[in-house]
Amino acid sequence: MHFATLLFKNLLRRKTRSLLTCCGVAIAVGTTVVLLGITDSFERATVHAFEGRGVDLVVIEEGVIDQLSSDLDEKMVQRVARLPEVKDVAPGLLDLAAFPALGSTVTALVQGWEVQGFLLQGLKITSGQGLTEPNQHAAIIGKGLADSLQKQPGDSLEIEGETFEIVGIFESFTPAENSGVVIPLPQMQRIKYRPERVTGFSVVVRQDGGDTAAVDRVRRQISKLVDEQGKSGRMVAQPVRDYVQASGHIRIAHAMAWMTSVIAIVVGAIGMLNTMIMSVVERVREISILRAIGWKKSRVIRMILGESLIISMVGATLGSLGAIVLSQGLARWPAVQGMIDGSIGPPIVAMGFLMSTLLGLVGGVYPALRAARLLPAEGLRHE
Amino acid sequence: MNRPVGREVLLETRGLSRLYPDGQVQALRDVSLSIHLGEYVAIMGPSGSGKSTLLTALGAIDRPTTGEVLFAGQPLSQHPNLDALRATQIGFVFQSFHLLPTLTAVENVQIPMFEMPWSSTQRTSRARDLLEQVGMSHRCDHLPSRLSVGERQRVAIARALANRPQLLLADEPTGNLDSQTAEEILALFANLHQTIGMTLVIVTHSDEVARSAQRCIRLRDGRVVEDSGTVVS
Repeated sequence: MHFATLLFKNLLRRKTRSLLTCCGVAIAVGTTVVLLGITDSFERATVHAFEGRGVDLVVIEEGVIDQLSSDLDEKMVQRVARLPEVKDVAPGLLDLAAFPALGSTVTALVQGWEVQGFLLQGLKITSGQGLTEPNQHAAIIGKGLADSLQKQPGDSLEIEGETFEIVGIFESFTPAENSGVVIPLPQMQRIKYRPERVTGFSVVVRQDGGDTAAVDRVRRQISKLVDEQGKSGRMVAQPVRDYVQASGHIRIAHAMAWMTSVIAIVVGAIGMLNTMIMSVVERVREISILRAIGWKKSRVIRMILGESLIISMVGATLGSLGAIVLSQGLARWPAVQGMIDGSIGPPIVAMGFLMSTLLGLVGGVYPALRAARLLPAEGLRHE
Repeated sequence: MNRPVGREVLLETRGLSRLYPDGQVQALRDVSLSIHLGEYVAIMGPSGSGKSTLLTALGAIDRPTTGEVLFAGQPLSQHPNLDALRATQIGFVFQSFHLLPTLTAVENVQIPMFEMPWSSTQRTSRARDLLEQVGMSHRCDHLPSRLSVGERQRVAIARALANRPQLLLADEPTGNLDSQTAEEILALFANLHQTIGMTLVIVTHSDEVARSAQRCIRLRDGRVVEDSGTVVS
């Protein structure tokens, strides 16, 4: 008989209790994995939206946390474009808008882009046509949003109280954009009452011969640019991954995911602690007998900790599988369709198992030490 | 007296006393005795006379309040590793068997073997040999709940022999058995004593068990009052 066989058989004595504790751990780990997975997926999708277009730097207003709260002078775009190592620049003005859909509302990102800019090149028109004129009172919408709003080319869409004609439905290389709307930049500036203003711009750097240092040089040059009056442009250029990781909504999503995960893990650990203490209390005489027949304290500790780790590993497996299924289901949910891809990366699953191991150790260590302190004579006194 | 002459002393107690922490019960009072290697000793006495307390002190399970127990000449109070001593030198048989309910007979016998440097295969093989030795080879894979009380005690004896101990301590091993099964268990003990020369110390209320032993120590109120027919006080 292997030592592990003994641990499994001990746990099977109280099948229901062991199963319920496994379920508690599974919920804790599943919550952690699904929340961290969604946040990670969202972050990856955002990074992909930039990197997929070859963007090296994202420029926003100095001192703000993301594009939504940024405000820059559109004239600065030309100054950045004139930098010798800059290959292309695409300004954008973006905001969130709510659209009525079947008794509820769908919130979507509305992007004001230049109709000749490289950002539009990442969108494949699957129905209707694309944007062609800056003054066109038209919009193209992502496939996911079109499905949610049940819209097609020729229909109208109300944005900020103005009616736009939907001229096309697009599908982006990055699913995150499929739940958004794109209108010409001048139209967005007009309806937002922000003429000649943008929320940020994407910069593609010329990296001849793989000169990756060029990105850093351009970044520093942008931060030193001044406007027509010689005042600081108040711009900060960040590499795409730095920008995404520092952006407010990603950080808030991370913080909420971790906070919720920690609460779930603490609750799981309390459940584990309760189960293992009960298990030790029930087996006082048995553990004393094991000590009487020569088991070392360390072996008793290994037995109790081993049992709690088995519960936590089974719980982690169930929780991770549940999280993957839930995440896949969530990715198909219309309200978040396109925002996340539903995949959970191995590092996130590994993180779930690591947290579960900690949970097992935290929940098992006190009962294990308590069991090891039992005197060998304890069991015989009850004879 | 049947005490073997010229043999090595395996166990010795010097002025052993045990006062339980509540301060009300003095279970042992100044007990001094020697048990030689290969002896078969019965400890008798009325309930509360200190028999089981003496057994736990001899087996390094409990510490005396005063006095000393020596195992093979070494004081237990100075022994560096009592767990290892119990695991390798002493086997215990309890009145209530104390088998783990979810393990089969052959698995129960392997429990003490985890303290030995043996592989899983070696443990299983030895456990089957021991069960054969106690006449239980046909019940190896049965759970304790499927065994009779006599069979459970045989498994418990096999477990006590798991790590080839020098000393076997048994606390009322026939207390829960009918007379025929008790006879079978006594025959098993006698066989162990005769064939491998094992030192046996058995706590019992039974005159029959006492008669099967070479030597009988009687306790009353925590004192030795008789040792193999020799009245001590």
